[in-house]
Formats: sequence, C-alpha cells, structure tokens
Amino acid sequence: MSSVIVKAEPKTVMKRQIWTGARAVAEAVRMADVDVIAAYPIRPYTGIMNSLATMIAGGEFHAEYVVCDSEHSQFEVVKHASAVGARTFVGSSGTGLVYGAEAVVVTALGQLPVVGVVGCRALDDPGNFGMEWNDALMFRDIGWLMSWAKDPQEALDMVLVAYRISENPSVMLPHFVALDGATITHVASPVTTPAKEHVAEFLPPYKPRNPLDPRAEPISKAMHIAPSLIGPEQRKGVDAAMKKAKEEVIPEAWRLWADLTGRRYPPFLEAKHLEDSECVLLTMGAYSKDIDYVIERQRRRNRKIGSVRLRYFRPFPDDELREMLKGVKAVGVVDFSYSLGSPHHGSVLYNEVRAALYDLKDRPLAMSFIFAGGREMTISELEGACEALTQTARSGRIEKPVRWPTIRGEDV
Amino acid sequence: MGSTELEGLTWIAVHGRGVLHTAQGSQIALTLSQAGINAGREAYYYMRYDDSPERVQLPLIYYSVLGKPSIDVVLPEEVQPIGEIFNAVAVLDSSMLVHQTSQRALMLDGSKPDCALVVNTSMKPEQVLKLVKKYNCAQDWNGRIITVRSSRYHTNLVYGVVGALTKALDGEITLENVVDSMEATGNKVDALDAVRQSHEDAEPMPVSLKAAECEPFKTKSKLLEAYRSAPSIQSDPWDRAIYMQLKQRAAEAPTYESRTGSMPRWEVLAPGLIEFNQRPGERNIGFKTSFARTFRPVRDPKLCVDCKLCHIFCPDGAVDFNPIRIDYEYCKGCGVCASVCGPKAIFMIHELKALEDIDEQEFLTLRKALIEYAY
Repeated sequence: MSSVIVKAEPKTVMKRQIWTGARAVAEAVRMADVDVIAAYPIRPYTGIMNSLATMIAGGEFHAEYVVCDSEHSQFEVVKHASAVGARTFVGSSGTGLVYGAEAVVVTALGQLPVVGVVGCRALDDPGNFGMEWNDALMFRDIGWLMSWAKDPQEALDMVLVAYRISENPSVMLPHFVALDGATITHVASPVTTPAKEHVAEFLPPYKPRNPLDPRAEPISKAMHIAPSLIGPEQRKGVDAAMKKAKEEVIPEAWRLWADLTGRRYPPFLEAKHLEDSECVLLTMGAYSKDIDYVIERQRRRNRKIGSVRLRYFRPFPDDELREMLKGVKAVGVVDFSYSLGSPHHGSVLYNEVRAALYDLKDRPLAMSFIFAGGREMTISELEGACEALTQTARSGRIEKPVRWPTIRGEDV
Repeated sequence: MGSTELEGLTWIAVHGRGVLHTAQGSQIALTLSQAGINAGREAYYYMRYDDSPERVQLPLIYYSVLGKPSIDVVLPEEVQPIGEIFNAVAVLDSSMLVHQTSQRALMLDGSKPDCALVVNTSMKPEQVLKLVKKYNCAQDWNGRIITVRSSRYHTNLVYGVVGALTKALDGEITLENVVDSMEATGNKVDALDAVRQSHEDAEPMPVSLKAAECEPFKTKSKLLEAYRSAPSIQSDPWDRAIYMQLKQRAAEAPTYESRTGSMPRWEVLAPGLIEFNQRPGERNIGFKTSFARTFRPVRDPKLCVDCKLCHIFCPDGAVDFNPIRIDYEYCKGCGVCASVCGPKAIFMIHELKALEDIDEQEFLTLRKALIEYAY
C-alpha cells in the first residue's frame, strides 16, 4: 500500500480504555470540541449526558451545556445553535426522541448539521427499557443520515466521523448515530481513543457559509414559502445532499479515518463469508456479533451461511447490497423493528432490503426475523433462524417470510 | 392551455379583504355553489389556501366552481397557470381595483375573454372601466361590468353581490336556482328580497377592450421583454449580489410565469433555504404590502407638531422618524396613526380618492364593521 499512516508515531498517543458506549461517545464529543450540548435525561442515552456533565464539571473541556425542560426543547436548542454556527451535540431515546419530533424534522429539512446519538429503546406504550430500532427509524424519510454502531469503539469512531460528514458544505445534513440501547450504551468493552492530532487533522472547525448571525451578513433562514415558487426545489436540495453524502462524502471520510487511525471500516456494508454462502443473515448494530458467532458454528456443521452488517441505514447502500447478494439464495433480516400493517406485515429493515433487492434479476428469497418488544435475542433463536433460512434456500420457496422468534404463543 | 374538462366549468372568483370578507366571501361562494347544485351541477368552493386575512384588510380570494355537470379534475390553488377560466370576478372592496390581488396578479388575470366583472361600489360602470384599463387588465376583454351598491339591499353585502353575480352569470345558474337553494337553507325573507331586487336592478355594461389599450399590458410587455432578454443568472453559485438581482427581478415580474421563472434553480439554492436580507439602512427588495390598503393616511404638515406618536404607534414601522414621513409601500392603512394623532393632522382617505379622485361611498370601515358585525 502507499505510505499512509497506519501505525501510531511516538508523539501521537492513542490510549486504550474499557468504556461503555455512553462514555466512548462522550469522549468523541469532547474530542470534536463541541460548542453546544443540549441534554435531557432518558435511559439509555442518559449515560452520555452524565459522562459529558462529569467531564465539563471536571474541567476536561468547555461547552455550553444546556439542560432543557424536555426533549422538544433539547432538539430545538441544538437546531438553533447549529444555525448560528455552533457545533452541537444532542441525544435521546425511545419516546423522548419522538417528543422532540417537530424539531428533529425541521433540523433535517432545514439542513442543519446537528450530530445526535439515539440510544435505541422500545417505544411506549408500555414503558420499556428493551431495545428496538423504531425510535430512530421513525425519522428515516426526512433527511437525517443514520448509522448503526456495533460496539463502543465504533460508536466513538462514528460520532467523530459524523461531524466531518455532516458539516461538509455539499452535505449539511444532520446525522444520527444509533446505539443499541443497553447492549452498547451500558456494556463496557475496550476502546482505543484517536490521537488529538489525528482529530485535529480530520475535523476542521465548523464554519458554515451563511450562519444566522447578525454580525455577519444579515440573513433569514427557512422562511415560509409558496410551493409554486420554491417547494420542490428546496426538497431537491436535500435529496441532492443525501446523494452527495452517499456517493462521495461518506466513503471519503471513512477512507481518511482509516488512514489516520488504522481502524479500517468498510463505509456501508461489512460482509463475512459471502464468497461461498447460499444464505445470508443481515442486521445492524451490536447483535451482528452474535450472528457472526452463530454462522461460525453453522459453518462447522457444513452450512454455508454468511453475514452482512449494515452500517448506514440512511443513505441506504442499495446498489452495493445488490452487488453483494447477487447469487445468494436466501437472505434473513434480523430485525429489531416492526412495521405494523406494512407489506407482509413485515418490519422496517426487511421492507427496505426487499425494495433494494427488487431490481435483481434472480433475487434472493427474503425473510424477516422480528425481535420485537425489546426481549433479548438468544443463540438458539438465531440458530432457529439459520435453520429456517437454510430450509428456504433448499426448497426454493418461503413457507412463512416474517417470523417473531421470541414470542411465547402462536406466531400468527 | 385548457382541457375539455376545464372548459366545461363555470368558475367564479370573489375578492375581498380581511376577516369580514372571509365570512362574506365564503357565504357568496357557498350560495353560488348551492345554486349550482340546485341546477343539477356538481359544485365546489374554497378559499385560496395561501391567503391569511386574519389581519384587517389583507386580501383574500374565494372560488366557486360549478361542473358541467360534474367536476373531473383536482382544482388548483394557483389558478393563473391553467389559462382563462373565470366566468365572473366579483370585487367586494373597490379599493382592490387599484392594487394587485392577493396572488400578486391583476384582477382580470385568468379570466375568460367574455368574463363579467361585478364590483360592490358607488361608482358608475364607466368609472370602473377606466380603472380596469389603468390597473387590472392585460388582455383582450369583451365582457361586461356590473356595479352594485349592496348596502341599498341589505346590511349584509352578500345578498346584493349574489344578485348581481347571478345576473352576470347569464343563465349558468338562474335566479330561481339561487332563491330556491337559499330558501331551502333557511335564509329569511329580507335576504331573498335583497337578492331578487339586486338581480333586477343589475345592468351589465358591455365592454370591448383591446389589450393594447390597457396600461398593465404595456408595462407587462416591457417587463417581459426585459425578463426574456436578461442574461441567465441561474447557474452561478449562491452569493448575495446575485441573490439580490434575482429578488429584484421576481419583484417586478408582471405575470405568474415570469415570477416563477425568476425563481432560482434548485442547484443555486443555499442549503437550508437561506435568504439574504437588507443590510441596516437598506430597503427590503420586493416586499411591498400596499396592496392591503383600503384607506391611506395623509398627513397635513401644517397641523403636525412633530410629536412622533404616529411613528411610535405604527404597527408596521411604516412611518419614518425624522422627518415624519409615511412609507406608502408598507403602510397597510390600519389607521392607528390617525387615531393617536393629537392635533388630528393625519386623516384617512380612501385609496380611490387618493389615487383617482373618486368619492367611493360603498365601503366598510373597521369601526363600522365592528359596530355592525361585532368582528
């Protein structure tokens, strides 16, 4: 390879810690030298809020730390701070994230580069600390970039990279980094922090072209418009930004991150054993590790199963996924979401994967394994999924495409 | 433009001001639609969605559409681009004849060549025609004008206008249709009599007008020529100077097409819909609100003692401080300045008087509306 920096030089110090995802994210926020943090407690995101407060109180860094009266205000504060030219950080979970929905929507459509962390948590009713993706996925259509980390290390990396992507002048879209609630946010595992010099090179200060600042050029932002005059044009701008992110900015950012830190992630999709697999299990987030563990066991029993982990949900890497799954007989989506009443009474990730694969001439049969309600997935359930998937691939037809493996009672 | 479905429709536009005319315009449009249904046709009515006449005197438009017999299309809010559609245009406040409509268009834009213009006014049809030639028409017009003094028939101007409109619609719906449907919906005798009488009294004056005779046509042609020959400023990157040029062009645009055509392509929009504003001391381009005026304040400098109260109290900041000067581009004619003026140096005169020396008698001041209708 060319002479890129892979090994750390003596001057640059990369430390190794055992941190929860919450603590790791807080470290990323500190290293990004964020200006404004809006906070409102809701488990499992609260750990991030705590870690940041501890750091600020301990003098480790300075930021405007605003404890708001609710998630609604929380997201409004960062939206406006971002418009004025501040680098911002925000986060929430579950029903709290939904409470901020008005501001969340406007942040994306107003093209403000806010970075937020979603500690994925099941939506109310009932109150439930279990893990489901629906809270983050609720905002999938409006222009937020969305990525799923698999462990605290990737969480830290994703948050730092998110700032670079979001603040790129040809993107200017907000970015959610979604962490599986509890599994990543509250479980500590080894994390290597990047060196200060690496971050300084990677992340220049945030300088929007037209900040909402009367000391600069007086501007108005996001005024009321007439659709006949400017309606579709504004939407197309957001669409074009998303496309730019997908084609150029996201791959470039992860390439540079790999060169600087040595941690090489494929930007969109991470695949294992695809060369000789007839079945593939697809998922996002931490449980990809369980899946990788299970497929190793399956392979020892001569079952040709591979895995794909989706890192970015928005923009969705449909072309790369089609390329990857060409020739695969069956794909099973391990889905921690539900989409009640959707085609096949399926789930969100499942429907997106189906839509992405539609254009393939010989498309794989698609199944969904819905882990709803936040109940922890077990290895035996995953092995059952592999069983069902293999059965489907062998017979060439799906007996029951959408299954709820964790349910007690009949899976109607 | 115009398809078979659209050609078969009978389309009426009713222009009014403020919440009072919102209610009354609604009543007129509803009455015509009910009459249409009585005549065996499908009928819709709706207010122009972009209008927000919560503020006194802001203009609004109501549309009533009658099918032939049914309506097979989804009705547009911005009616101009679909061609010549109005069979009748009603104007509830005659001061609207010297301003643009709420759609920043001319009063007769989008009307059929034989459209009827019904105006609630004490003016004579000849006077209305003069105003139309000067302010409202940029096309050939072989229609008719009906003036109605609706206060003569009823305190609620709806009935006088409905009677005149029914005459204007010349058989599309008949007086019987209107009166029968009004009776069926519980209108009292005085309302029905008002409609009948107004219908009888209405005397359409035929009009034969060539576009070239109309002032707006001449201005429009010049501006359109300038618009067509202007170099394209669509492909440059976003910056303030270019933005201000665009804004100026859009502000002067005389037609719907040229106004929308002056809007930037999406590629040059700053992300997040940034709009450059005027710097301190500059004027904002293209944002005039004079179209909201029925009355304008006029200051007598001989009586004025320069107490500055009018400047302080003007809700729009339309009175400059030093020297005291009323900015007629932004004044909306609310009358607060006249109300607070101690020496009564500011008095309100009707727009038609100020601009054309016409003594309009058929108008409703806010004070009168509050007394009569408790709005």
